[in-house]
Amino acid sequence: MGFIKFIDVGFSYPGQNKPVLQDVNLSIPKEGVTAVIGPNGSGKTTFSKLLMGILKPTGGLIRLDGEPLSSLNLAQTGRRVGYVFQNPGKQLFCETVEEEIGFGLQNLGLTPEQVSRKAREIMEYFELTRYSQSFPLSLSTGEKRRLAIAAVLALEPDLLVLDEPTAGLDPYRKKLLGDYLERVIASQRGVVIISHDHRFINKYATRLIRLEGGQFAEVGPTGNHH
Amino acid sequence: MSKVSFRVGQGEIVALLGLSGCGKSTLCLCLGGIIPHCLGGEMTGGILVNGKKTRDCPVAQLALEVGLVFQDPDTQLFLPTVEDELAFAPENLCLPVEEVEARVGNVLTILGINDLRYANPKNLSGGQKQLVALGAVLSLDPGILVLDEVMAPLDPESKKRISDAVNALRQRGKTVLVVEHDLEAVSFADRILVLENGRLIKDGQAPDVLGEREFLLRHKLELEDELRIKRWDL
Repeated sequence: MGFIKFIDVGFSYPGQNKPVLQDVNLSIPKEGVTAVIGPNGSGKTTFSKLLMGILKPTGGLIRLDGEPLSSLNLAQTGRRVGYVFQNPGKQLFCETVEEEIGFGLQNLGLTPEQVSRKAREIMEYFELTRYSQSFPLSLSTGEKRRLAIAAVLALEPDLLVLDEPTAGLDPYRKKLLGDYLERVIASQRGVVIISHDHRFINKYATRLIRLEGGQFAEVGPTGNHH
Repeated sequence: MSKVSFRVGQGEIVALLGLSGCGKSTLCLCLGGIIPHCLGGEMTGGILVNGKKTRDCPVAQLALEVGLVFQDPDTQLFLPTVEDELAFAPENLCLPVEEVEARVGNVLTILGINDLRYANPKNLSGGQKQLVALGAVLSLDPGILVLDEVMAPLDPESKKRISDAVNALRQRGKTVLVVEHDLEAVSFADRILVLENGRLIKDGQAPDVLGEREFLLRHKLELEDELRIKRWDL
């Protein structure tokens, strides 16, 4: 069942002749971890921004849970789909790590007690507690990435879109993230990751698609799970 | 960082490992003199680059000897075309035009980005920007190259190109410091340094350190189960 559906979707950047996506028909379910691979510049990030409604298709239609994405504003899409940018520094703007995580939760209408409890839980899991009062932009790249991911995970969106989530993460933190994603999909939610991290994909992806030349192709499993 | 001491010889390829936040990028910034010259904080002890004290040497001068490629390429790119980015450093060295052109052409080929020559870096993907940022430093041709986690956003072909480029630099007597988390990505290193909470806890030949499974597992630099699973035909 497709939570997000691409129907004959094409996309070109303004002033550029070569389309990034052409006649894409693709369904992203609200389950499992869908990994997107493809060469640098093949359009993976563009695809994820279309998925999120940050970019609008130049042809075709994208549906979110049946509704045309074009009829929803970013705030409406954002309640269903959580997005973590390739460059996590771009989405951090609060004075402290704790506020950064609490910001989205407050906007969901949670009580201050609920916000605080949830923020504490997720900071604990991602080992950010000792930085709770630190300025987010003063963290290291790997810590910023953990924070950006944690802030979006806390919101429990139906679908999580993570662009290069393991870049800057050490192996131990990659495992923490992967284990959390397994929890996410166990609660009937879906994850899309864009990644060149083959070890991470091998361990956590449940579906693999490759983007090349503006089109997607499904990649098959090896049949060798261990 | 605290009481970090090490020495790197010319032509050595050194990998720097350690958990996020342990001080790897800070160490890179120290090598380029950005610490203490541009960022705040207090630096004790001293760093010598080719015999010069970084504390006494202007950043502009150190930049000729130490090429830094940061984790976030957006912080390094500012010109309207890829060609301009790659030509910027050699032009500022007042090299002859033919030499500038040769360096630009050479770097485009090494990194496999000839097709991006006239593109605006602003319009490139994250991985492509990373290659251009690296290219801009390669065209400077410094004696010491510092690569701070440049591999993660790159596709397998680009990763291979970079490790080939590093090997070629070694042949030319260049010194390279590579920060990475993926042990496979540093397989070309001669030597490995490990930082933990700002302290140097290991300094050894790469095959020896990579062979110390116990140590790598204990310090969370490697995970047992990640090695075995091969679910996808990648």
